[in-house]
Amino acid sequence: MVKKLLILVVVSPLFSESSLERNCLNCHREEKIPSELIYRRYLTQYSTHRAIKKRLFIYLKNPQKIASVMPKQFFLKFPEKKSLDLNSSLLEKSIDDYLEHFDLKKQLKLSK
Amino acid sequence: MMRSEKRSLIRFLAIYLSSTFLLFLLATLIFYNFQKHHIIDTQQKELKIQAKEISQTLRQLNETFSTPLLYPNNPPFNSAIYNLDKEYIFGSFRPYKIQWGEEYYQEKDELFHIHSIYPYYLGASSLIVSKPLNQKPIEQLIKLSLLFLFIAGIIFTLLGLFLGKLFIAPMKESMHNMNKFIEDTTHELNTPISTILTNIELLDTIYDCEGKQEMRRIEIASKTLSRLYEDLTYLKLNHNYHREIIVLNISELLQERIEYFNTLIEAKSLQITRSIQKETTLSIDRNDAIRMIDNLISNAIKYNKKAGGLLIQLTSKELTIEDTGVGIRAENIQLIQNRFKRDNQNEGGFGIGLDIVGQVVQRYNFKFQIISKINKGTKVVVIW
Repeated sequence: MVKKLLILVVVSPLFSESSLERNCLNCHREEKIPSELIYRRYLTQYSTHRAIKKRLFIYLKNPQKIASVMPKQFFLKFPEKKSLDLNSSLLEKSIDDYLEHFDLKKQLKLSK
Repeated sequence: MMRSEKRSLIRFLAIYLSSTFLLFLLATLIFYNFQKHHIIDTQQKELKIQAKEISQTLRQLNETFSTPLLYPNNPPFNSAIYNLDKEYIFGSFRPYKIQWGEEYYQEKDELFHIHSIYPYYLGASSLIVSKPLNQKPIEQLIKLSLLFLFIAGIIFTLLGLFLGKLFIAPMKESMHNMNKFIEDTTHELNTPISTILTNIELLDTIYDCEGKQEMRRIEIASKTLSRLYEDLTYLKLNHNYHREIIVLNISELLQERIEYFNTLIEAKSLQITRSIQKETTLSIDRNDAIRMIDNLISNAIKYNKKAGGLLIQLTSKELTIEDTGVGIRAENIQLIQNRFKRDNQNEGGFGIGLDIVGQVVQRYNFKFQIISKINKGTKVVVIW
């Protein structure tokens, strides 16, 4: 019994989806909405994760074109977002995961 | 060149060269600072160009979605990017302390430039570029400045010497004329003075003539002339005169010279007090010792009051001659040691006495002190 439980504990995370995947990225992939491009766009406008998080939270709570940093042409190509049915803490957690997932610091390397 | 000429030339050169040097030093410092700033400005421009190039790369990286994103690295330049909260993002170095208020600054031997970025490519709002300060041009500038000061120093010293000689030429000429006059005069005085003194002695010895008082006056006047002749000859020949340094019994010589001045001392009714340590010796040329003692005693008699006091003291270490005369004004004590300088114009003389004493003192490395109070008297001490 103990052995079965141990295997379940070790293996289950490999098959379970993260909240970021479930709440954000899956849908973005289906709709072919470029998640990283949005991250870069926010980064060039707000510089810090702290400021991006604040802006994204406002936008995701009440998605309106005017509250987004994406250009008008972006909304011609991609559908306008519907309000997420997530509580604030889960939304904040998802945003943190999103910022962590695309964090540029991880991608930068010093050229030789 | 005489002492007074030398002193004037040295004073002129000191004032001229120090003021010129200060002026050139100031000009060199201004030039150095200007050039140094120019050198640093040039190196700061290199930082700015590098910062612009890195900004362009950051823009390209911001649009690149393939990993890894290669951050530019161009030695000797170092760079780092910071976000709007001044948090470090990435870089080829991480500066210890950043002066955020400055666009350019220097930390030890490192130059820094803070370049603002907008839009914030990769989230960077500030790009810090640094490079070691290239010291070579500054070292060359220091060498050039020192060389300039050195060459200017040599040129202006030579010019100063030339100007100094022009400056003292009139003084030199008047000194030369005066010396020539004294030389000619003394030459003509020698024979008649010797004749007078010899004949007075002869008259005194052979004949018991009347008019002793008148004879004594003639003797005093002749001795004064004789000493003046000796002093002038001494000054004239001072440089060429061959000295015979012997262990001289200065006690005996002093007694002898006091006897020589006896007629003058009696004529002025001076109260003489002697304290002479016997068998005191000194390594000196006899003529130098005579000229020194004669001039000191002569001054003490000449500038003394009628029936005043005269103290002559000799120890193994010093000779002191003190009078109760008119004294010397404090501001003139140093001045009267120069040739032709006198404090009191009422008495006769050329003002060469203390100059001769000074020369003897200097030649034998003695020390010379004059302590005087106006209307109280003068004390002259020669220490060996």
